[in-house]
Amino acid sequence: MGTPIGRRRFLRVAGGSAAAAVWLPRRAAAQSPVRVGFTLSATGPYAVGAGITQRPNYDLWVEQVNARGGLAVPGQGRRPIQLVEYDDRSEIETAVRLYEKMVTEDKVDLLLPPWGTAMNFAVAPVANKYGYPLIGPTAASLKIADLNLPYFYAVLAQPDAMMGALAAFLTEVKRQQRLNRVAVLHVADLFGLEQQGALMPLLKAGGFEIVEAKSYPLGVKDLTDVLKGIKAKGAEIFVALSYPPDTILATTQAKAVDFSPPVFYTSVGTAFPFFRDRFKASAEGVLGMGAWNPKVPYPGARGYFDAHVAKHKKEPDRWASAFAYATLQILEEAVGKVGLDRTRIKGYLDATRFSTVVGPIKFAKGVNQATPGMVGQWQKGEFEVIWPPERATAKAVVPKPAWA
Amino acid sequence: MSLTLLLDVAAGGLLLGGLYALIAVGLNLQYGLMRVLNVAHGEFLMLGGYLTYLLHVEAGVDPLLSLLVTGPVVFGAGVGLHAVLYRRLLRQERTREELEANSLLISFGLLFILQNGALLLWSADIRGYQYLDRPLRAFGTVFPANRVVAFVMAAIVTALLLLFLRRTLAGAAVRALMQDPVGARLMGIRVPRVHALCFGLGAGLAAVSGSLLSMLFELTPFVGLPYTITALVVIILGGLGSVGGSLLGGLLLGVVESLGVYFTAPDLRMVISYGVLALVLVLRPYGLFNPMARRPGQSGQA
Repeated sequence: MGTPIGRRRFLRVAGGSAAAAVWLPRRAAAQSPVRVGFTLSATGPYAVGAGITQRPNYDLWVEQVNARGGLAVPGQGRRPIQLVEYDDRSEIETAVRLYEKMVTEDKVDLLLPPWGTAMNFAVAPVANKYGYPLIGPTAASLKIADLNLPYFYAVLAQPDAMMGALAAFLTEVKRQQRLNRVAVLHVADLFGLEQQGALMPLLKAGGFEIVEAKSYPLGVKDLTDVLKGIKAKGAEIFVALSYPPDTILATTQAKAVDFSPPVFYTSVGTAFPFFRDRFKASAEGVLGMGAWNPKVPYPGARGYFDAHVAKHKKEPDRWASAFAYATLQILEEAVGKVGLDRTRIKGYLDATRFSTVVGPIKFAKGVNQATPGMVGQWQKGEFEVIWPPERATAKAVVPKPAWA
Repeated sequence: MSLTLLLDVAAGGLLLGGLYALIAVGLNLQYGLMRVLNVAHGEFLMLGGYLTYLLHVEAGVDPLLSLLVTGPVVFGAGVGLHAVLYRRLLRQERTREELEANSLLISFGLLFILQNGALLLWSADIRGYQYLDRPLRAFGTVFPANRVVAFVMAAIVTALLLLFLRRTLAGAAVRALMQDPVGARLMGIRVPRVHALCFGLGAGLAAVSGSLLSMLFELTPFVGLPYTITALVVIILGGLGSVGGSLLGGLLLGVVESLGVYFTAPDLRMVISYGVLALVLVLRPYGLFNPMARRPGQSGQA
């Protein structure tokens, strides 16, 4: 495919002397930026997650790469990264339109994904149509795999693996502490629906008594009535398959109606440092989906954590943030090996076992097979990996202490 | 399910309904008096919420004390906006339809300006603080303490408003203008002044509700519109221009929503609200509690 910018630059200088025509394009190519396009939600219900998990990592990576002189492209030296970015306003149709525009009008060299499962689900077909590899750090959906899009890659553990880990953890808790009564809430969005779909059969197979299973809309304002009902039914295990605003809402309101079950699990947003800072001592013992912390034994993990803190004056979230950074490491490595030919980038992604700040990543049919589903828990200000045992950075604390 | 839990859930709805009532009363004052349907009502609520948040987080002011600031400040802003945006319009009104249409356009513009202004100023980040978010035990059950406090404050503010309307000369002027605009004018009531007062009051009440809501829920620049819609449902329930009707309508909607959500799912909250609205429109189109129900087309014609 080649780079349109290089070609345009070439044409501009083609009228020059023969010597210059030989010398200039190389130099021009070395200076012309690699255009990288993406949308992130700056407004609307997805804005919080996008602003915490993806945006800071995109910015950090660009700064680091450009400080090294740019993205290493074989045969072209280092080329600086130039971002082409838009606000999709948390509107899926807007994001789809913008991804079309970035390819056809802005003519970007590479695409980065938007935030969130439903968003990735919607723009993945666009990227695939134009042959742009898209490595999604915040996409958890088996349905994306069903779409059979060879150019889409997912690094997070998918719902079956993630809920498998949760169910295995709960089964262990059940065995040790005889906790049996489960209540499950989920957000009525592709993310919540799929996680719930994966979890419920596992809970039934595990012999749990399900005392409540309800959904609530994205942007829900009030869950007190539902939480009161769950409390009255004596739930011992509370699972919310939730997004950041509702993770905060459910925790706040559970605290306000004094519902403090031995196992309290919320999903996206639990791993945000904002959660710990907001709930302070009450965060202790809250379980959450996925987990990562700077103590994990992978090369670059600590360095990434420190660089994030230094640049943004805030800590990265303890789950998908590091995965977002890992996708950029992967992309940088692929471009460094095979250049900006997107078909060859895809070939490299399919064939390679990557080493990243979240450990090894290896794709099979576009889904990362090397990272298991994980459960995390806030313990004394750190989000510890507590499941699976071979990845754990601390032992689980069950029952959770009462709300402080 | 047990009776206690039923009562518990209903009481929870009542607490929230108190806030709905306060929000709706403000909107109803504006609409009942001037036929100005202010769809930016929720944006004044949002401003009140942010003011309280900023005062509390940046300056350490107790959220309850912040009401003394947010109410008057936004009241002043409302009076100012009325002078700039509505005074000329109200003077030039030809027909009621024209006035309603033009005022609707103005308030839509206001909605976008306030919302996007807030977005520029404060970004889309969720803002919130912890305030009395602990359980309060009473009558054998628990209530979130902040909700009880917010309800009590809403009740106090509403009572003050009723006292103002019933016991003061300015209040009498407002009531007179609501009942009979032409007669009121003939009695020497300065209509533009009363209009400005009511617009300011409506905005100030929205801000106070926003301050109270910020104790319970997180803020974003977009929190306002759903409350405007809730307020519209409430004033249709209670009757356009009826302050007492708005109070009862608000409480009723709170209870119906809570019970409805409890028995079905949170997904259906809006469906339940609109369902109630549709029922009322079909069965009692002039509102449930409107004493003027049998006198259609009587009010508000200048």
